[in-house]
Amino acid sequence: MAVEKKEDEKISTLLEDLDSLENYIRDLFAFLPLPVFLLSPAKIILEANPAFEQITGYGVEESIGKSIEDIFNAEEIESLIQETLEKGSIRAKAIFLKTKSGEKIPISAATMLRKGEEGDIVGYFFSLFNLTDIKKKENELINTQKSLLNILEDTESARKEVETERNKTLSIVNNFTDGLLLFDKERKLFLANPQIEKFFGIEKEKIIGRSIKELAPLPGFSSLTDLLGEEIKEAFRKEIIFKEKLNLEVSTISIASGGEKNEALVILHDITREKIVEKMKTEFVSLAAHQLRTPLSAIKWTLRMLLDGDLGEITREQREFIEKSYTSNERMINLINDLLDVTRIEEGRYLYKPVMTDIEKIVQSVVKSYKEEFSRKDIKFKFKVPANKLPKVLVDVEKVGLVVENLFDNALRYTPSGGEVIVSLKDNKKEIEISVKDSGVGIPEEQKEKIFTKFFRANNILRLDTEGSGLGLFITRNIVEAHGGKIWFESEMGKGTVFHLTLPIKKEFEEFLKDF
Amino acid sequence: MSTFLYGVKYNNMAQKIAIMEDEELILNLLERKLIKEGYELLVARNGEEGLKLIKEKKPDLLLLDIIMPIKGGFEVLEEMQKDDNLKDIPIIIISNSGQPVEIDKAQKLGAKDWLIKTDFDPQEVIDKIKKQIG
Repeated sequence: MAVEKKEDEKISTLLEDLDSLENYIRDLFAFLPLPVFLLSPAKIILEANPAFEQITGYGVEESIGKSIEDIFNAEEIESLIQETLEKGSIRAKAIFLKTKSGEKIPISAATMLRKGEEGDIVGYFFSLFNLTDIKKKENELINTQKSLLNILEDTESARKEVETERNKTLSIVNNFTDGLLLFDKERKLFLANPQIEKFFGIEKEKIIGRSIKELAPLPGFSSLTDLLGEEIKEAFRKEIIFKEKLNLEVSTISIASGGEKNEALVILHDITREKIVEKMKTEFVSLAAHQLRTPLSAIKWTLRMLLDGDLGEITREQREFIEKSYTSNERMINLINDLLDVTRIEEGRYLYKPVMTDIEKIVQSVVKSYKEEFSRKDIKFKFKVPANKLPKVLVDVEKVGLVVENLFDNALRYTPSGGEVIVSLKDNKKEIEISVKDSGVGIPEEQKEKIFTKFFRANNILRLDTEGSGLGLFITRNIVEAHGGKIWFESEMGKGTVFHLTLPIKKEFEEFLKDF
Repeated sequence: MSTFLYGVKYNNMAQKIAIMEDEELILNLLERKLIKEGYELLVARNGEEGLKLIKEKKPDLLLLDIIMPIKGGFEVLEEMQKDDNLKDIPIIIISNSGQPVEIDKAQKLGAKDWLIKTDFDPQEVIDKIKKQIG
């Protein structure tokens, strides 16, 4: 009996131990952060822990007795079970889990086959690992990688673009027909193109890195360095002569790069050919003038001396004929002068030595020479000047005189006797306006556009007289525009025409400063 | 009408005016006008003859044409400027041309005035001479 009792005690102790072991396992099971469940051979959930409850949404009570296919994809779970049967355990297999709310969660499943003492299959242990976060991280990682690759690609294409741009710029710089010198902020030369080497006959390695001061003693450089100065002064199309036969036009451009001081680009443009052509043109115009004017001046002088009685007495009748011949000859001279003016306009150097002048004086002197002619034709003539003194303008006096003469000449020619011509000056603050108003024949509507073109003469005036060259207004507009001014008109057939022109006012003071 | 070969026409005490001009008619007209005014004349029909003449008989003033055979007016100006005996002679250009570039060039070479023949009467030439040498 004692033995029996001992056995009983032993059994009870063992049962107690078993009980505490079971509790231990249950606690451990409940504590495990990984979802774990036990599956019967018939694929029914036998037991599940709170972590499983959390991931699936099914309560522990609810899950027990549930078919595994309610929670996993039937095919996926079947293949996992088959694999477990074959291998005994699976360390990790990615499958999807379906929650109570129908959400699909990626998980990694580990399995182990449970066998009874006789080796019969009693069920499967499943442990799950939620891959959502990892997947998310993975996706993030993939995206990051993608965007990194994109950035790399962008950088690469940007680099290629920069390289292409650089190559383009370099080929422009290297093949530019102008010489280019680029000075840095310290005014040291850091770029010179091949054209510079050609102009100066020096390799660029010998000039790069030098300052203006250091360039000056090199052969041929002094005229350039004298013009630029150590600080590289602003220059625009300043002419210098190199090695006697090379005419260069120098311009400097300050390249803004944000700092106080900028890089400076010096452009040297070869104008040797233009100079030669210009000289040829001057010579041609000179010769043409000579050829065309020589007979006319001889006739003019002869007739004048005849009229002045220097070549003996003449009769009244002879005088009349000679006077008419003289006038015809003068007309021819004016035509030739117009033609020569046009040639010079087209050469682009018509303006010559502008000076600060009182415009009223120029107009007044033309008024003086025309007043008599107006009264002879019985045309009322008025000259209106504003009460306040007009500011001076920077003009080529001779050419502006010619402009006023041309307008007076037209007014005189195309205003019938008994008409009126009003000349007025106006101060428009930034410019002076000259207006010549006549009560003449007017300009036909359809020909208004052509009025300033070369050799143009309106229909209605061709009937009036055949004297004009058709060059007056062409020359006039060119002179006005060369001064930076504008010319326009209003006209009504049979009522008259007003010509307006403006000459910009440049402050004497500004001009004064400009020379420094 | 008297005609001149290269040479001198004397007129005691009168001011001497040299003319270098290849245009015969202009020359004749000037000659009449100037003699009437009481000047003594030195006449040449090109620059080379003219230079020889003025070196020999120093004139009080020179009327100089620009486009002439053998030696033109600009060459005459250049040579006169280099010659100490000739550089102070007042020069008036009488030309059929008259571009600003040319006028500037002549001025730099010492010319006092530039008359475009078609724009002046012979009487005005006399006025210009009087302005220079009273």
